[in-house]
Amino acid sequence: MLLEVRDLHVEFRTRDGVAKAVNGVSYGVDAGETLAVLGESGSGKSVTAQAVMGILDTPPGRIAGGEILFQGQDLLKLKEEERRKVRGAGMAMIFQDALSSLNPVLSVGDQLGEMFVVHRGMSRKDARARAVELMDRVRIPGAKERVKQYPHQFSGGMRQRIMIAMALALEPALIIADEPTTALDVTVQAQVMDLLGELRREYDMGLILITHDLGVVADVADRIAVMYAGRIVEQAPVRDIYKAPAHPYTRGLLDSIPRLDQKGQELYAIRGLPPNLMDIPPGCAFNPRCPMARDVCRTDVPPLAEVAQDRASACHFWRECLHG
Amino acid sequence: MAEPILEVRGLVKHYPLTRGILFKKQVGAVKAVDGVDFTLARGETLGIVGESGCGKSTVARMLVNLERPTAGSITFKGEDISGLSGRALKAVRRNIQMVFQDPYTSLNPRMTVGDIIGEPYDIHPEVAPKGDRRARVRDLLDVVGLNPEYINRYPHQFSGGQRQRIGIARGLALRPEIIVADEPVSALDVSVQAQVINLLDRLQNEFELSYVFIAHDLSIVRHISDRVGVMYLGRIVETGRDAEIYDHPTHPYTQALLSAVPVPDPEARERRERIILAGDVPSPTSVPSGCRFRTRCWKAQERCALEVPELAVPAEFRLLPGPAAHDSACHFAEEKRVVPPEEGPRPVPPPGPTGPGTGEGPGTGDGLGTGDGLGTGDGPGTGNGPG
Repeated sequence: MLLEVRDLHVEFRTRDGVAKAVNGVSYGVDAGETLAVLGESGSGKSVTAQAVMGILDTPPGRIAGGEILFQGQDLLKLKEEERRKVRGAGMAMIFQDALSSLNPVLSVGDQLGEMFVVHRGMSRKDARARAVELMDRVRIPGAKERVKQYPHQFSGGMRQRIMIAMALALEPALIIADEPTTALDVTVQAQVMDLLGELRREYDMGLILITHDLGVVADVADRIAVMYAGRIVEQAPVRDIYKAPAHPYTRGLLDSIPRLDQKGQELYAIRGLPPNLMDIPPGCAFNPRCPMARDVCRTDVPPLAEVAQDRASACHFWRECLHG
Repeated sequence: MAEPILEVRGLVKHYPLTRGILFKKQVGAVKAVDGVDFTLARGETLGIVGESGCGKSTVARMLVNLERPTAGSITFKGEDISGLSGRALKAVRRNIQMVFQDPYTSLNPRMTVGDIIGEPYDIHPEVAPKGDRRARVRDLLDVVGLNPEYINRYPHQFSGGQRQRIGIARGLALRPEIIVADEPVSALDVSVQAQVINLLDRLQNEFELSYVFIAHDLSIVRHISDRVGVMYLGRIVETGRDAEIYDHPTHPYTQALLSAVPVPDPEARERRERIILAGDVPSPTSVPSGCRFRTRCWKAQERCALEVPELAVPAEFRLLPGPAAHDSACHFAEEKRVVPPEEGPRPVPPPGPTGPGTGEGPGTGDGLGTGDGLGTGDGPGTGNGPG
């Protein structure tokens, strides 16, 4: 396993109390594999990724427990200086909003080259040449001329390519992409996802794709982990989950998206709202919104039980959900 | 088609680009909307889709008179409203209301929900006499599935989905005949999106509303629309009934757009043909000659640079009545199905004593109302302030 997260807990101290953002998450990614982490806002999908990257704001955030094993090494035991070496060279992250993640007063060439200057100790001139190479690799037309330009001179799709180039610069073993195409139009989204998939194959990288879009997941992922209120509620190979979800939340999500291939009737809507992280309901966090909830769901937290090979669901009644 | 309630002809919005400080000289124009025609029938939903910068939001803003058109006409029940002003404009505006995209910035954080929803009555006091307003606002809250007791709360005490309900209630306050909704669900989480879409559906039946529904999400537009117009760079390039556009598109841009939508079906991965367009949308300050899509089109020929294709039923389909015979602005229109049907029906929602909203018609209103706020056990006030 390239990356293994074990029983991770993250909480945030706020004025109003402690928000439990991640409550015992475990997942793993192999080299060359794409894991999609699916969840709505507040599900803890991004916080988990930030903890893995080591870019969590502490305080107010705090890692309250767990292990993050990357190439066999527990990252949480490393000093910040060692951690920084892993970041960039071992793993890299792509963010949703490329415009605010890029420095507006530096040319894209300088920003791409900086990676080589800092991590590899290259001269500015060599770094600039590598920057052009990278821009070519993410298929930015006219890289030689455009390397001197500033972020605002690029379109949204091109900016996201620059982010990808930056993540690839040191050829990391793992890329974490947090909603990489959410801000893009569909035709551009298709271009960027295609590019990301191609590069992943080319470099045999592991990819963690964080998203709320079930369509994107179906298009690119090998496996999927569905998160709700800081926990993984279902984990499965992507084909299985779309065919027969084993958790009522996953099922609700799948049923609530309109279809492109036919005009639907009234949509199935999951009732209620995601829970307040400072006051997660006892038992199964999904129970107030669940159509299948019974007494045991209101008292006992369901364990992540094995449903089939390589499949798990955190529902007391997964059998019913899967077959019913 | 039922009688048209709104007719738009030759709608244009150009923003001038000027140079110089004292002596401004126009050096060009941003052609945000560049000749749009459509008709909205009573009780119908017209969906307008397109990517960012195509002009769909500018069209919406002109319909509710937040922007003045540079040219063209907007006819509401037989009267051209694009040139109205003063009292006449005010009277017409009552009938065309808007729901905005972002429920976080479109509600004044210092006003209570009651004041936000009741504010339209200050401008149009004839709709509700003063003593009657609180009661009306309570009714509206109930209609959109919020607890009427929340009338004195502030927007930050509500979640995104609930705020969008407040925005919808404000849109309904003056009992308009048309609602223009600009990306009303794109800021919401998937599970909440469905609730708001179902609400819009129900309100349409209840109040006999006509919708202009603007969005970039093609699946949502198909779900809610009777007819669909696809916009590219300031113009509608293809328009027709939902099945005509989605199952029998003839314009290459529509085909590319549809083929790019990720479908939640991993089995379709291999079966699907992807049309990946090259490059970006050209700038609206320098629109290509002839067909504006030609710079990205794989079919483009010389004729496309010389001749602007007209939005009409293409000649090759004119004699064959069928779903491919609908308006498409392409010289080389050709039918091509790009959305593969998903494998079989989706699984039926799990059975349960309280399975919400599975087709009981008007009854779902109550289901939504209670489910939304109280389902979590702590009501929205404490629940989901974004902080």
